[in-house]
Amino acid sequence: MVDFLTALFNFWQGFWGVPKTSLAEALPWMDILWAFVYLIGAFVLWAVNVIILIWLERRVAGFFSERVGPNRVGPLGLLQPINDAIKILSKESVIPQAADKFIYMAAPLLIMTISVTMYGLLPYGPGIRPISLNVGILFFLAVSSTTTIAVLMAGWGSNNKYSLLGGMRTVAQIISYEIPMALSIIGIVMLSGSLDLGAITDAQKNLWNIVLQPIAFVIFVISAQAELTRSPFDMTEAEQEFVAGYHTEYMGMRFALFFMAEYANLFAMAALGVILFLGGSNGPFLPGWIWFILKTYAFIMFLLWIRWTLLRIRVNRMMMLNWKVLIPISLVNLLLTGVGIKLWQYFTEGRV
Amino acid sequence: MSDLKKEAFDSDALESDLFETQEFVLNLGPQHPSTHGVYRARLVLNGETIVSAENKIGYLHRGIEKIAEGLTYAQFAPYTTRFDYCSGALQPWAYALALETLGGIEVPERAEYLRVIVGELQRVASHLIMIASFALDFGAWTPWAYAFNAREGINNLLEEISGSRMLVNYIVYGGVNAEVPEGWVERAKAELDKILYRLDDFDKVLSGNEIFLGRTKGIVPVSAEEAIEWGFTGANLRASGVAFDLRKTSPYSVYDRFAFDMAVIKGEGDCFDRYWLRMMEMRESVKIVRQALEKLPAGECRAKVSKVWRPAAGEGYALVEAARGVQGYQVVSDGSTKPFRVHMRSPSFCHIGIIPAKAPGITIQDFISFMASLDFVLGEIDR
Amino acid sequence: MFGLGILKGMGITLKRFWMPKITERYPEVMPDLPQRSKGSFTFNVDTCTSCELCSMACPNGVIKVEWHKDEAGKKRLDRYRMNLGHCLFCGLCVEACPTKPQTTIAFQGDFELGCWMKQDIYRNWTKEYPAAPAGVSASQPDATQAAPKGE
Repeated sequence: MVDFLTALFNFWQGFWGVPKTSLAEALPWMDILWAFVYLIGAFVLWAVNVIILIWLERRVAGFFSERVGPNRVGPLGLLQPINDAIKILSKESVIPQAADKFIYMAAPLLIMTISVTMYGLLPYGPGIRPISLNVGILFFLAVSSTTTIAVLMAGWGSNNKYSLLGGMRTVAQIISYEIPMALSIIGIVMLSGSLDLGAITDAQKNLWNIVLQPIAFVIFVISAQAELTRSPFDMTEAEQEFVAGYHTEYMGMRFALFFMAEYANLFAMAALGVILFLGGSNGPFLPGWIWFILKTYAFIMFLLWIRWTLLRIRVNRMMMLNWKVLIPISLVNLLLTGVGIKLWQYFTEGRV
Repeated sequence: MSDLKKEAFDSDALESDLFETQEFVLNLGPQHPSTHGVYRARLVLNGETIVSAENKIGYLHRGIEKIAEGLTYAQFAPYTTRFDYCSGALQPWAYALALETLGGIEVPERAEYLRVIVGELQRVASHLIMIASFALDFGAWTPWAYAFNAREGINNLLEEISGSRMLVNYIVYGGVNAEVPEGWVERAKAELDKILYRLDDFDKVLSGNEIFLGRTKGIVPVSAEEAIEWGFTGANLRASGVAFDLRKTSPYSVYDRFAFDMAVIKGEGDCFDRYWLRMMEMRESVKIVRQALEKLPAGECRAKVSKVWRPAAGEGYALVEAARGVQGYQVVSDGSTKPFRVHMRSPSFCHIGIIPAKAPGITIQDFISFMASLDFVLGEIDR
Repeated sequence: MFGLGILKGMGITLKRFWMPKITERYPEVMPDLPQRSKGSFTFNVDTCTSCELCSMACPNGVIKVEWHKDEAGKKRLDRYRMNLGHCLFCGLCVEACPTKPQTTIAFQGDFELGCWMKQDIYRNWTKEYPAAPAGVSASQPDATQAAPKGE
């Protein structure tokens, strides 16, 4: 009982951004309990984010085009996601007869699992770090590239030419844009000296990384949009060309899982951008996790702004942009970062 | 990475020794979010490149030309608006001109000016639909809303003058249907400024956008000779460099009294040129409307014609520069109150003829841009 | 520099983000339609002379006029029926009506024409002629001005 209260007290401290005291007095089973708490928390956060983003995206889209977004269902249309949820759940879930059933049904589950995993890796605040890996950023990138498999499964399993074409395009796109993203992140890693997301956040206590790595920020924004297959890189689900791309044949709850995974990935990628470039959960006065949420949503608004202004890019130009523009620029960025770090070390510490 | 050459496209050349590829058939349409109406294109694809394409039309055939044989001349006029439903007020003009040729009816001057005003406003509205759908086919949702918002102003004006926003039954044989209501001229002048303001916004969002330029520049160029060969008319022809506009080359109605330029682009004739030409044309049309509103003379708005009109046996044919090209009506009369035959020469029907010739070698994305830039409407094609 | 067009476009959308919205909050705010707006119809049973010009002018055969001849040989309207399901809202009937100064059949800007049952598509106006007691003139207008729905 005392241990439980101790652990609760530690959580309370962590909640308000106070560094955690050691949990050595706690019993071993407390770790498992906390793991469960974090697991449920990650799911809840995932769901809450999806709900908020469904409303936010449509409202913002309306505002950019001079219309009001959802405004009927609740005050300011805030209950619109409930409307969408009920609508999607009430649809008949039809499996195409010639579809590869196992792959068809496993794809949305896989993509949801990946999405929730990414939520566990993020440091929300000084005390709230569900999984504190020392190779955090590498693991994050690895997990987010597994979406490729899920998309390919969806495209192939639907037994539909449109889906297959959409799935193949998505795979090409996601795989290609991993590279500039990883290269732009290496610069941050060099500056912070660690792959751990928590350590990267702590290293930005005084100065945000965006000041030191503006080129990497631009590359990261472009690659993030491409990874999320959002406009201007959304030819995979381009309504006007492929009806709905790899999720054409999905309806009902399965489609809802794809849909929610896309919005959840948006939050996860924006959170990654905030952690790497915008200082994570650092900030005066307010607790760390409030800053984190605020900054992430500001970044999401920026990504939404890009999405609702720009058009879809052509496939070959997208590839050209990646291989001929972003990768060379990110390599140059790495070079400059390395040289810059060495010069700084020479001038401040007198060594090379 | 270069685009595939269109002339020497050989699908066998793509098969390498390692993989066995297969061409597959894809039906683009008739239910598809981006074909402009119920249109089907039967594409044979190799990967993402089109090997061949065929037009399959007829999904919207309503037999309007046959219906005309059972109605009197005045009763058929509302049906003419249903051909090209995107530019409803311009459609009855050619029909009215054909009837006036057949019966030798003289149209009063005020009616001619009103026809020009309503016709040019409708042309602006129709081009706004084209540029909005063009942007939408690329995934640009916001400029679509801006263009349609501009169109709202025109719809309101048309509603004030005729009662309908879209399928406007205003131009009839003998003149126009009704007199302008109070204050309409001032409201129209104010509305023109708003339209230009929104058009400038649209321009800034879209026309300079590098992604848009990458999507439309150099895509499916149509040279001037090809355009003439395939029977292009209207904006598509002028975008390929041929200076042919019925309002300038053989002016009908009172078009020779207005000072406006014929918009021509001497370039490759690619998708961007077809889009940019329509932007230029809209500004010219606004100029025409402004001049017409200034110079609107007093007078009758309709010549005296009998309601149940029995023309002499004969034939009347008239051509009009409609929003999508040159539209013509042939009306054959056998002396009774109902026409013997009505035929409409539709511009979009000739435009889609070029699709099977130009499609091989381009990707689906470019095909979508190409179709959107041709700006055809199925109501006209299938009649 | 590359990207300037994109940035200019993003500036315009940001500007529009803060501008007032143009959405009309229907049905709380009813749109202010112009006077000539074409919607459903009003019909004045008193002024109709049963000339059937509207019925002949209609391209689709929407209008059906039923009349009888009274003792003086004059046409008297019994029932005026319109099938709005086939109506093009072209206005040829309104143009054809000879009644002055106000046409017997006229548009009202009523655009909310959806209904649940198919018989509600028809609009009927009837005129009753009660049997005239001695000394009273024959036609007593005893009809509803608004359109009663139903077969």
